[in-house]
Amino acid sequence: MEALDKLFRFDNKVIIITGGAGAIGSAAARLFSSLGANVVISDINEDKLKALAASISKETGHEVLGIKADSTIESDMKMLVDKTVEKFGKISGLINNVGWGAATKLWDSNTEKMVKSYVLNTVGAYNLTKYCMPYLEKEPNASVVFSNSMVGTTPSPEFIEYSTAKAGLRNMVHSMAVASGPKVRFNEVIIGSVDNGDATLEAGYDPEMLRRISEGIVMKRRGLPVDIAYAMMYLMSNAASWITGVEINVDGGGMYESKMPTD
Amino acid sequence: MLKLDSLFDLKGKVAIVTGGGDGIGKGSCEILARAGAYIVVSDLTIEKAQAVADEIVKDGGKAIAVACNVLKDEDLVALVDAAVKEYGTVNILVNNAGGGGGGRENPFKVDLAYFERIFNFNVFSAWRLCQLTVPLMAKSGYGSIINITSMGSINKSPNMSAYAASKAALNHMAANLAFDFGPMGVRINNVGPGATRTHALETVLTPEIEAKMLEHTPIKRLGTVEDITGAVLYFAAPVSAWVSGQVLFVNGGGVQTLD
Repeated sequence: MEALDKLFRFDNKVIIITGGAGAIGSAAARLFSSLGANVVISDINEDKLKALAASISKETGHEVLGIKADSTIESDMKMLVDKTVEKFGKISGLINNVGWGAATKLWDSNTEKMVKSYVLNTVGAYNLTKYCMPYLEKEPNASVVFSNSMVGTTPSPEFIEYSTAKAGLRNMVHSMAVASGPKVRFNEVIIGSVDNGDATLEAGYDPEMLRRISEGIVMKRRGLPVDIAYAMMYLMSNAASWITGVEINVDGGGMYESKMPTD
Repeated sequence: MLKLDSLFDLKGKVAIVTGGGDGIGKGSCEILARAGAYIVVSDLTIEKAQAVADEIVKDGGKAIAVACNVLKDEDLVALVDAAVKEYGTVNILVNNAGGGGGGRENPFKVDLAYFERIFNFNVFSAWRLCQLTVPLMAKSGYGSIINITSMGSINKSPNMSAYAASKAALNHMAANLAFDFGPMGVRINNVGPGATRTHALETVLTPEIEAKMLEHTPIKRLGTVEDITGAVLYFAAPVSAWVSGQVLFVNGGGVQTLD
């Protein structure tokens, strides 16, 4: 439908997605590519990245570039921008999606673990956004979307490193939004409990916890990666061209009770 | 390969829009119709509602017009009855009718009846329409409610206390109703427009007022009806299936106050 195409197609746009080999990142890559964008996905898992780029590109007919880059290394973020521009000549949008945090007891963290989480979840997004800005500023309706987590917006003593870093990210996005209009928009998706496959289990959840979480969600199910990708797509789209500095909670309507028992 | 239409497909879904005769309400009717929904355009003034419905039908869509004063319970009941009679159910409700504020609410010059009327207009009518339509939505298997709130719900200004408090109540009501309706498969979200170039705003807008409004607005323009209705479509459509209880401000990143 023509009216929808005008609002939600991404033809000739170049969009970088970090954490692109993960569940949410790859769902976003597939969605934006389906909607016409040239997508650049970055991840540290090179094998998965290359296979994914090839499979999405075959499916959609649009170019997908997989670049191995570690968000915790500043020179990698610069390289990611350089390679994107070298290949496509511009950057229209960025999804700072990479992020992760392990379950840690409140008083079991230390300087090293806290800083490591901050660098991964907050500083990496800062660096990449900074290197993208000169290119984003040249593009119409340029937009940066950040993946945040409900641990960053609610007290989360069971994820003390991750939640503290994500809370910092949230303030950073708001600062970018007030200072960077009208050229570039900055918004966040606050992600509820999503079935991320292996990453969920690695973060310390067990099946009983996951069952309790589903029951506690207003809409009685955990999210699918694509639920999150859809919100990213809306915030990136022409339909959202007057939206900056907001966050959308994509969380199945919220939780009836605490997301994880603390001991 | 994924098609956009499937994400936004509202074919055959029945949408009631209050205050649908002009501005954001009219725009909501048009965009939902373009996504395939059957529209029940309601407005206090039947001629305005009819004109919007006629235009949708002319474009190949389906729509009817219903006169409705949202301050009257019998009108709200009749509105839902008319939708069911014509199209069999209700799937989408846009609570757009509302009013008050405008810096005219000096607490010593308005009376309690005025305050009650504003709450009736902006909160109670929306609640009542939810009560009337959510069982239909649950039974049909698809339901999404969008309330049009206001930046007034979070701004602080003089002579705005009735309107601002009512819009804040509308936000928190929706956040709570999300918990009631979620298990029934019905979503409810609020869209909060900043200063939007509707006919109503254009009548008072001067270049000076506009410049003042944009002082604290990162995206240096006022909103358009399309900016707001894009958010209405996002919340109405299956693309936001896992989103409920949200307030989304569409405001250029700032506040368009005059002080």
